[in-house]
Amino acid sequence: MSNPLQAEFGETIAALADALAADNEGAFFAELDGLLQRRERMLFLDLRKLTGDLQSALQRFRMDSRLMDLAQKDVPDARLRLDHVLRLTDEAAHRTLDLVEQSGPIAERTAQAANDLMEPWQQFRDRKIAAEDFHRMVRKMDAFLLATSSDMDKVREHLSEVLLAQGYQDLSGQIIRGVMKLVTELEIALVDLVRLSQTGARTARQVSDETRRGLGPQIPGIKTSPAVSGQQDVDALLSGLGV
Amino acid sequence: MSKNLRFLVVDDFSTMRRIVKNLLNDLGYANVVEADDGNSAWPLLQAGNVDFLVTDWNMPGMPGLELLKQVRADPKLAKMPVLMLTAEAKREQIIEAAQAGVNGYVIKPFTAITLKEKIDKILGVAS
Repeated sequence: MSNPLQAEFGETIAALADALAADNEGAFFAELDGLLQRRERMLFLDLRKLTGDLQSALQRFRMDSRLMDLAQKDVPDARLRLDHVLRLTDEAAHRTLDLVEQSGPIAERTAQAANDLMEPWQQFRDRKIAAEDFHRMVRKMDAFLLATSSDMDKVREHLSEVLLAQGYQDLSGQIIRGVMKLVTELEIALVDLVRLSQTGARTARQVSDETRRGLGPQIPGIKTSPAVSGQQDVDALLSGLGV
Repeated sequence: MSKNLRFLVVDDFSTMRRIVKNLLNDLGYANVVEADDGNSAWPLLQAGNVDFLVTDWNMPGMPGLELLKQVRADPKLAKMPVLMLTAEAKREQIIEAAQAGVNGYVIKPFTAITLKEKIDKILGVAS
């Protein structure tokens, strides 16, 4: 029983050997040329098949992979998002520090004014105060009460603003979550790419549409569908809708 | 009397819940409960201990829009005042919230005055 190689080349090799033994140069080279051409054709067919495989693999990958999108759009967007987080945290920290710095002197002034009143007040309590000192103390007390009332309003206002400034944590947290989701998607796409390059097989990716859950804060520099620019816009839009 | 209103603040970020709770306290509303998403808010609403709902949109579990729709679909809760307090800023989202029956929409970051104005408007209080 002949093996495939013998089936394929046996006849030609035999003819080649015969031509060699007979010293028939014309027949020998004719057989040799035929052999080489067949070999070339086989190589060409193999190469074409390989190219076709590669092309369809690339095509398939390009068609349904998120990797292109991720690399070209989402990753640069993520950089912008993280940059925005940096800005939000920076602004909130500075806002908070400003308010603390503004409140400190007010508290100090109030404490100082109270201290200044203590001595004459003690003299008054001990019934040892001179009439002139008493009048001075009363004037001081008037000013103190007035100043404290307005100063404490100011401090209260500052505290309320410090409170609101902490809202950055929610906004930046939402953005960071979005970037974490992107990293997960990137990981899935890369694992797919590795798998594809190894076996040519592909798996279904789970890229969920989370629009219903919300899209998170607007990021300056990232273009999306029309968004409002602030509360005034929201109010105008809603009043147009009768809300 | 309106100062005795019971508020439910729904937000997945505890910092934001604290901020809103403090602001509500400043406005004189001392009765504030919290939940971190629609799913945990629902039993509180069902128990009937809430007069006014303030909710975020973007939350894991049940998002705010779904909570709003669920509230409007429930005969017991359908008339509950609902204020959305969210970073979601797409026009189509605001329209969707309006169509779902939201009473007010405050966009984050917001100010204490905006929050007060919207609550007053919903309650029909002259500010």
